Amino acid sequence: MLLLKGLGLSLLSSMAWGLLFNVPVRTLLACGFAGVTGWLIYFILPHFGAEVILSTFAAATSVSVLSQILSIWLRVPSTNFSVAGIIPLVPGSLAYKAMLAFVNGEYMNGITLAMQTAMVAGAIASGLILGISVLTIWRGARHARKRAH
Amino acid sequence: MSADLVMDTCLLAGEIMLKNGGETYRTEETMSLIARAAGMDSVNSSATPTSIILSFRSNGQDHTRMVRTPSRTINLNKVTLANDVSRRFVSGSITLVEAYRLFQQIDQGKPVYPKWLQHIAAGIASGSFSMLAGGSWLDLIPSVLAGLTVNLSLQFFELFLRMKFFTEFMSALLGGLFALLCVTLFPQLHFSILIIGAMLPLFPGIAITNSLRDLIAGDLVAGVSRGAEALLTALSVAVATAITLWFMR
Repeated sequence: MLLLKGLGLSLLSSMAWGLLFNVPVRTLLACGFAGVTGWLIYFILPHFGAEVILSTFAAATSVSVLSQILSIWLRVPSTNFSVAGIIPLVPGSLAYKAMLAFVNGEYMNGITLAMQTAMVAGAIASGLILGISVLTIWRGARHARKRAH
Repeated sequence: MSADLVMDTCLLAGEIMLKNGGETYRTEETMSLIARAAGMDSVNSSATPTSIILSFRSNGQDHTRMVRTPSRTINLNKVTLANDVSRRFVSGSITLVEAYRLFQQIDQGKPVYPKWLQHIAAGIASGSFSMLAGGSWLDLIPSVLAGLTVNLSLQFFELFLRMKFFTEFMSALLGGLFALLCVTLFPQLHFSILIIGAMLPLFPGIAITNSLRDLIAGDLVAGVSRGAEALLTALSVAVATAITLWFMR
């Protein structure tokens, strides 16, 4: 039930986010699909003992790889998908808790939470980068083969 | 092919991409590809989030021009369309004049989705995000309304506040105050969930993803400046949240 609710909500939020950024109409559903995939991995990995940061990283990587594949398939820039796909992973509640701790004067607690927020944000960023880099392997391999001939 | 038309086409294509949230490396690549396909030599293009420079050599004469893009919105559909037209020109299925006309059409085109639909989308995004963050069904409607408030006020303040930071700060503050009002009227709502949802339309998603792509493509200046843009937005949201929380105490 929790899974089903999360799937629906991540689909909705990613599609709405894509709509907010004027993505082409034919890619709207694919945007939602990217968001669902990312959220699913983010949700499932902790059940296998992964930490939040690791699961965020894995989710961001898969969103990035998926948006590259979708961009080749639908022939649109991959930004369309990756921007909407990372929305369910945004560390909103962590950032809020950090802010709350700072306002209440609990500076040590606030720094810990802010550090955690930064780590999760960094995990999203490095996941996106890894996903883009992985997909350039075949292009590089083609290039290397051409040079060898 | 006249060099002037090539220059106009390239710069228009680059301007469309940069103005509507395309990556810097894509802008540079598109301009160089069009210029090369039009038969120009020693093509060099350089773009940062605020300016484009293009130079090439044609019939032994150098041409260089620069364009500033002071106002930036986000319309990924236009980026996609411009990308498509440049591909078609490079592959040779349309002529340069046709490409120029198509770019002009794209530049003047209206957004795909009407404004009211975008506001509703912002509301839906906020609502579903706050539910994902652990809200109960009761919190759904107020957080939808909070997201709607933020996006509407963003559009409203853009009209007369000339600073991006200030616009975002004011809309975040308004969204936070709306959440505060909801919690004061109905104490069973969760204030944290409402705030988390309300701030979602301000999340600088495009700036962050583009900054990363620019950085790994080797455009260090463009990547860092986009990152600074994202940080500035995050800062404005943080300050507004802190003020709302301070009211809450």
